[in-house]
Amino acid sequence: MTKVHLTAGIFGTLFGIAFTGAGLNQYDVIHRMLSLRNFDPFLIMASAMATALPVLWLLERRAWVTPLGGRLHLRRWPVDRSHVTGGVIFGVGWALTGACPGTASTTLGAGSLLGLVLIAGMGVGFGLRDLTTARTKRIRPRSFAVRRSGHYVPEALLPPL
Amino acid sequence: MHVLPTPFPWYLSGPATGMCVSGMYALTNKHMGISGSFGSLVTMASSKGRVISWRVTFLLGTVIGAALVAILGGSPQTGLEYGTLSEHLSLPALVLVLFAGSVLIGYGARMAGGCTSGHGITGCATRSPGSFVAVSIFVVTAVLVTLVLNALTGWAV
Repeated sequence: MTKVHLTAGIFGTLFGIAFTGAGLNQYDVIHRMLSLRNFDPFLIMASAMATALPVLWLLERRAWVTPLGGRLHLRRWPVDRSHVTGGVIFGVGWALTGACPGTASTTLGAGSLLGLVLIAGMGVGFGLRDLTTARTKRIRPRSFAVRRSGHYVPEALLPPL
Repeated sequence: MHVLPTPFPWYLSGPATGMCVSGMYALTNKHMGISGSFGSLVTMASSKGRVISWRVTFLLGTVIGAALVAILGGSPQTGLEYGTLSEHLSLPALVLVLFAGSVLIGYGARMAGGCTSGHGITGCATRSPGSFVAVSIFVVTAVLVTLVLNALTGWAV
């Protein structure tokens, strides 16, 4: 248990409070959002970005040195085909369940046992993706794949989110 | 003990979420995202990692935060309830739909390298081009699929 773990735990708790307090762990809230009947969740996402973006932009410009993790390095990803395909698959699941990874843990925390089903399913989906990526890697060596098809970047090589 | 007025208005929840994102970066240089936390759990479960990642304590924090809100402000979705979806579907069907949908969510999030938090909030806040694309795609897809499902089932809330 380091200071980073502790900081992450504190911000995680704050995140859980803000997220659950806004009702984003509830199916009906997300369903109304995706049915374009309630725009509050969109406003939450937008105002969260609007709060964090200028802060991070300023810290980056000032070459901020973080107290626990060295010089600030904002992670960015170039546009990749996996963002489109993955985004479509994610979107279908999101529409079916009214859930995303953030709602799964908070659904459970707020007392719904079905949160366990969500977490199990997401774990299986993650594992499946890693398995298929591992197989692709065996068939096509990484160096070859990257050179030939520009878009192929195994997640294992990307900095995790 | 409902001392907490819920739901919080968006102009409190949104900026508070943004502060979590910028706070994590400013103090620890970490890119906050929940699907990455699930990824760490899966990696840990598949025995590769013995070290507990900061992502796991972040995830635990979200569970604790949610529990605090539920205890202090009440939770309309407890036990085996799942909003209006549990009125329309029998429990086995509901579990099946939730499981199948979650597999898609997990697969898609892993493939796209993030979810509604890691790309949606943090990635957009770092002005990551891939994140802008991923967010646009999954919001548009989810809205379209929801509208089609609503038209087919007539279950719109």
